[in-house]
Amino acid sequence: MSPARSLQQGTRYRAVVVATAALTVPALVTGCSVANSSHSDAASPDTLRIVLPQEPPTLEPCDASLTSTGVVVRSNITEPLVERNADTGDLEPKLADSWEQTSDTVWTFRIRPGVTFSDGSVFDAEDAAFSIDRTVNSTIGCDVDGYVFGDDELEVNAIDPSTVTVQTPVADPILPLRISFVEMVPSTTDAQDKVRDPIGTGPYKIDYWDHGQRLALVRNDTYWGPAPEYTRAIYQWRTEGSVRAAMVTNDEAELATYLGPEDGAGDLGVAYPNNETTALRMMATEPPLDDYRVREAIDLSVNREGIVKALFQGLGEPAGQLVGSSIVGFDPDLQPTPYDSDRAAQLVAEAKADGVPVDNQIRLIGRTGQFPKINETIEVIQNSLSKAGLNVKIEMMDTAGQMQYQIRPFPQGTGPILLMIQHGNQAGDAQFTVDQYMRSDGYQSYFGSPGYDAQIDAAEQLVGDARQDAFASVLANEPKEIRQFAYIAHMNAVLAKSPTVQYAPNSATGDEMRLSEMTHADTSANG
Amino acid sequence: MFAFLRRRVYTSLVPLLVVLFGVFLLARLTGDPTNLYLPVSATPDQRAEFAAENGLDKPVLSQMVDYLSGVAHLDFGESLRTGESAATMALRAFPATLQLAFFTMLLAIIGAIVIGCWAAYRPNSLADRISSLLSMTAASIPDFWFAITGVWIFAVVLGVLPTSGTGSALSWILPIATLLIRPLGVLTQVVRGAMVSALSAPYVRLARSKGAGDLRVVTHHALRNAAAPALTVAGDLTVGLVNGAVVVEAIFGWPGIGKLMIDAILQRDFAVLQAAVLLTAVSIFVLNILIDAGYALLDARVREKSKV
Repeated sequence: MSPARSLQQGTRYRAVVVATAALTVPALVTGCSVANSSHSDAASPDTLRIVLPQEPPTLEPCDASLTSTGVVVRSNITEPLVERNADTGDLEPKLADSWEQTSDTVWTFRIRPGVTFSDGSVFDAEDAAFSIDRTVNSTIGCDVDGYVFGDDELEVNAIDPSTVTVQTPVADPILPLRISFVEMVPSTTDAQDKVRDPIGTGPYKIDYWDHGQRLALVRNDTYWGPAPEYTRAIYQWRTEGSVRAAMVTNDEAELATYLGPEDGAGDLGVAYPNNETTALRMMATEPPLDDYRVREAIDLSVNREGIVKALFQGLGEPAGQLVGSSIVGFDPDLQPTPYDSDRAAQLVAEAKADGVPVDNQIRLIGRTGQFPKINETIEVIQNSLSKAGLNVKIEMMDTAGQMQYQIRPFPQGTGPILLMIQHGNQAGDAQFTVDQYMRSDGYQSYFGSPGYDAQIDAAEQLVGDARQDAFASVLANEPKEIRQFAYIAHMNAVLAKSPTVQYAPNSATGDEMRLSEMTHADTSANG
Repeated sequence: MFAFLRRRVYTSLVPLLVVLFGVFLLARLTGDPTNLYLPVSATPDQRAEFAAENGLDKPVLSQMVDYLSGVAHLDFGESLRTGESAATMALRAFPATLQLAFFTMLLAIIGAIVIGCWAAYRPNSLADRISSLLSMTAASIPDFWFAITGVWIFAVVLGVLPTSGTGSALSWILPIATLLIRPLGVLTQVVRGAMVSALSAPYVRLARSKGAGDLRVVTHHALRNAAAPALTVAGDLTVGLVNGAVVVEAIFGWPGIGKLMIDAILQRDFAVLQAAVLLTAVSIFVLNILIDAGYALLDARVREKSKV
């Protein structure tokens, strides 16, 4: 190689090195902070750090029935006119200090005076009427509308600044319970589209939102009620449950939600009954599931005690109905179907002998990650059903895939399906369960009967003890008259809680985690 | 050199078009997003309205035309989930992934050069065999297991590192360590192999015979020639990281583009998925061009060939 050539190659080599250094040094200098990271998660005595499994997609109050939104918004940023006490089931005044049924189809709410939104504007009946109208009657597609009001349209009027009336198409004895799902927003809120960062009357307001990283609420100093103890709350999210638990044990957070028993929260784990119930929903419009004996066999094949003990590690109770004990209509005398694999096999054999095509493949569909140990639960059930003589194939899907089979309109030509569902009745009344899951045209129901629908209609017109008894009867009759479900368990949830925080989770915590109920443990101990 | 780069840009356009069309078609094969975004009681009219608002009621070809027209105007649409601009969401997430990829590869390259050269200088020695064993093991460890185990050991048990998040300089350590092990293992093997070949070449013997010391032989003669294959492999590994280190981002709460893409797939958020994939693809093509340019700078034979 000539000296000139050697010099040229050496020059180029040095150019590569210099270019690399020129790229590297600035990155090293600036690189210790992550892009888009403008706030920190440092601990502070006045700050509550909470870890969720996912980032809320929005904080739109009319989607507050969605868990990922409601857990941040409800009773923290926004509030309803009336509020259900999760422990007693009673409706309590919130932004309305009284309400009454002034006619068969009209309820009148009196607005609490002296309430302002976090932007300083006064809350009055016009805002209440706007909020209800926006949630129920608009076309923006609020989740609360579908979950709570169905197809109903309401006529809402602000009679004066402190009075709002709500008229229903037919008499609705539980309208105030439905209204408890409508979060109040200013009448200046966009009525045509959903908002991501709302204004509300709650004890907190939005401070900042580092998308993808953290969301902070700060205490609302204009709040009409008692000031919450914590000045600030920072929400973060981690997909992995063991990491969420580790953040609490490592003092990087005070609360972590949606944990499984195996996630390692240890002594900091707090188990509590949530309002979720798991079940198999049977598509009785397709053979062999259209045969009652086959459906009964499936119900008898589920070893509920074994599943709760071995897979859920005791966190749950075998279920005999689709609602939990805090729900109006729950029947404490309704026992879970006993596990009887021999009887199940006998029923399948009888059906087969009568020409029922029990060899048709049944698709057992589950949603990945829907609850801890769902994969194992489905495998256990599939094994039991196979032993009973049925041909069952497991299909695990993501949320979008599974929801095709959960909500009408159902896909056609699917063959017989057993769908694993998990239902949470946030409202506290069995009507919200049976309307969706048990009516013959329910949004999440495969089938029913006119007679059973009539029982539901009758129960919905009643109040008080009569309502409780009527819905208990509806739930007790479901396995006898329809048998669309094989109930599995009333679920428990686990959250990790720092010893510095005093907070007692309840059945509503998964849907609505009230920051104002959280206090410093030492303050609570000292009264 | 410029002619070489121009040719590389032109040849990159075809794969980019494949990605453009491919992500559109594959996203729509995942199914209808309606159930995820409308209430359970949505009427057929509401479903039709949702489909019309989001262009989902049109024939696929028509949707594709709209999509390509949007891309030409750098308009990728809005997220079904959040309502934000899909491009904004992708551009916001991408730098975090780039940062992670950059520092991981920097450490991997430096580590691979040091360990690979050291092992190659004493081939078949105990040191060489230990480094080979460790690097092959590192290349085989599942990153999910490593991440969770790292959190348990260093955060929970020892308490010296944070479990996750982006709040401090220490929070970089576990994510980078998790991403580092495989590239470090692979690159070490590549550098070692290339250095063994280079150190046995005649020009190295000539250099030694002219009195060059060990360090000069390794750094000025052998390493320069061994750099090219290592650069190629490093480029491939970097591409994998730029694609989004999904597992690391999910476990450590790193706000990167890998997690964004996975969430977009699960939520059937077509606009965000398309924007994120396209942004990543363009970056990878730019990266490949830069790697080729670096290769050409290092190896005169490549430059001469490109002139033909």
